[in-house]
Amino acid sequence: MSNEISFHFNGAKFTGAAGQSVAAALIANGERELRRTRFGEEPRSIFCGIGICFDCVVTINGVANQRACLIEISNDMKVESSL
Amino acid sequence: MIIVVGAGPAGLAAAKSAASKGCQVTVIDSQPRGGGQYWRHLTAVSGYKSNRSAAYLKELQQNKLITHITGAQVWSAEKLGDGYQLNYLQAGVEKKISAQKIILTTGAYDRTLPFPGWTTSGVMTPGGAQSLLKGHGVVAGKAIVVSGTGPFLLPVATALAKSGAYVEIIEAQSPLRWALSPLALLLNPGKFPELMHYASAIVRLKIKVSFGSAVTEYHSGVAQVSKVRSDLSIRKKNIRNISADVVATGWGFLPDVTLGGILGCAQTLDRHETVVFEVDKEQRASAQNIWIAGEATGIGGADLALAEGAIAGLSATGSRIPAGLRWKRLTKRLFAKALQRSYPVGGGWQEWLRDETVICRCEEVSYQEIIESVQELGAEDARTSKLFTRAGMGLCQGRVCSRNVSDVVSGTTKCAVSRSERLAASNRPIAAPISLGVLGDGIAG
Repeated sequence: MSNEISFHFNGAKFTGAAGQSVAAALIANGERELRRTRFGEEPRSIFCGIGICFDCVVTINGVANQRACLIEISNDMKVESSL
Repeated sequence: MIIVVGAGPAGLAAAKSAASKGCQVTVIDSQPRGGGQYWRHLTAVSGYKSNRSAAYLKELQQNKLITHITGAQVWSAEKLGDGYQLNYLQAGVEKKISAQKIILTTGAYDRTLPFPGWTTSGVMTPGGAQSLLKGHGVVAGKAIVVSGTGPFLLPVATALAKSGAYVEIIEAQSPLRWALSPLALLLNPGKFPELMHYASAIVRLKIKVSFGSAVTEYHSGVAQVSKVRSDLSIRKKNIRNISADVVATGWGFLPDVTLGGILGCAQTLDRHETVVFEVDKEQRASAQNIWIAGEATGIGGADLALAEGAIAGLSATGSRIPAGLRWKRLTKRLFAKALQRSYPVGGGWQEWLRDETVICRCEEVSYQEIIESVQELGAEDARTSKLFTRAGMGLCQGRVCSRNVSDVVSGTTKCAVSRSERLAASNRPIAAPISLGVLGDGIAG
């Protein structure tokens, strides 16, 4: 895990290690809240961590409902909290 | 060619044994690397005897008869002649693969129970914490309460503590329950060094362990621990508070039966009323040319999955199953039964809930809304309650909540959940959501 990857989350720049998932890289940066829920606007983070629960869905490079726990970060990736 | 769905212990053992008989095998898996949920190896953190995986992963990478398709989410499957076609998504593109014979090793995921505060950031499954650590090199938090029931809490807690987190284990059941299963213990002497491995790690890493307790509430960074009975009802509420930024909570596992369900493989309920596949002595499913191995035929851990996978691989190539392998599977199955006896999940958790506690995380449906759908709208089962409340209709298709919704409805109507409701709640028409655009492009292409 030597290669450093830089990506964006809600407009801010973050770095992570190559091979890390979006959720893992954000949690490592202290960003636990990945999105707010539709009705209660409650903060949500990673829950099952293996692609089952869809709690961690974010918009990645314009594509909505992507599971942050499964998708690996890549350079200049644009991650946004889905609503 | 044989397709193996899943690259965990069962899938790797199936691929290895089928390839050893000269058969071409394609292993298709949703993860970027082989090993499944249990064997993850981005970092050096390892569980007991996880070095066993090295030989299997080497086979996956180097055996010319084995092809490994990674990052592929199989979302549907259909019959094609006397074989099957699997439709999968890889990096957003729809693709397909077909073969006469399929071995399904789709594994399992953590079973979770709701409690006040379980939707806040910081609460996750032990599998989630494990995947962050072993798959991505990230320690989930600084102070972590690992709670729930079952032996999987041990490798998760010790790995987290080894990586520098303060860890406490809150196990709901008493270890004395193992006295109910003397034969299983006698026939699995290899489990004693494994237990000693974790026991000494717990002492060395100064992990505090409590039995007969559960985290029944979490808010503002504080986990409230209550004493619970073996059916999980509360014996004494809020006996202790633990400051923690992460609560990793899991109650055993639920097999992922979706794909085999789509292909019409017969299912049944185990003693925990968990939906599992019915297989014969050679791991054959009820549908022709399908074998199923590992957690999807009943939760039993990696040792059982390896034996079942090896048997499935041999059977699919028409080879003889050695008696030693059958004996190994028998002893591991006995141990799996003992695990169920030792770590039951009763319905008493409903006492932990408040009216506003969310039961369905996707659609944000509260305990009170489900109760009202029964008491005021006349719902008599989870299916009807779901139509009123949308519980279980979100993106996860009820994988997380459907079983709990059934139990809440049953707790209100005072009628036991029927076998058909349990089976229906575990099955879904597609294995993963797919956008209509991708689906349309796929068909046009």
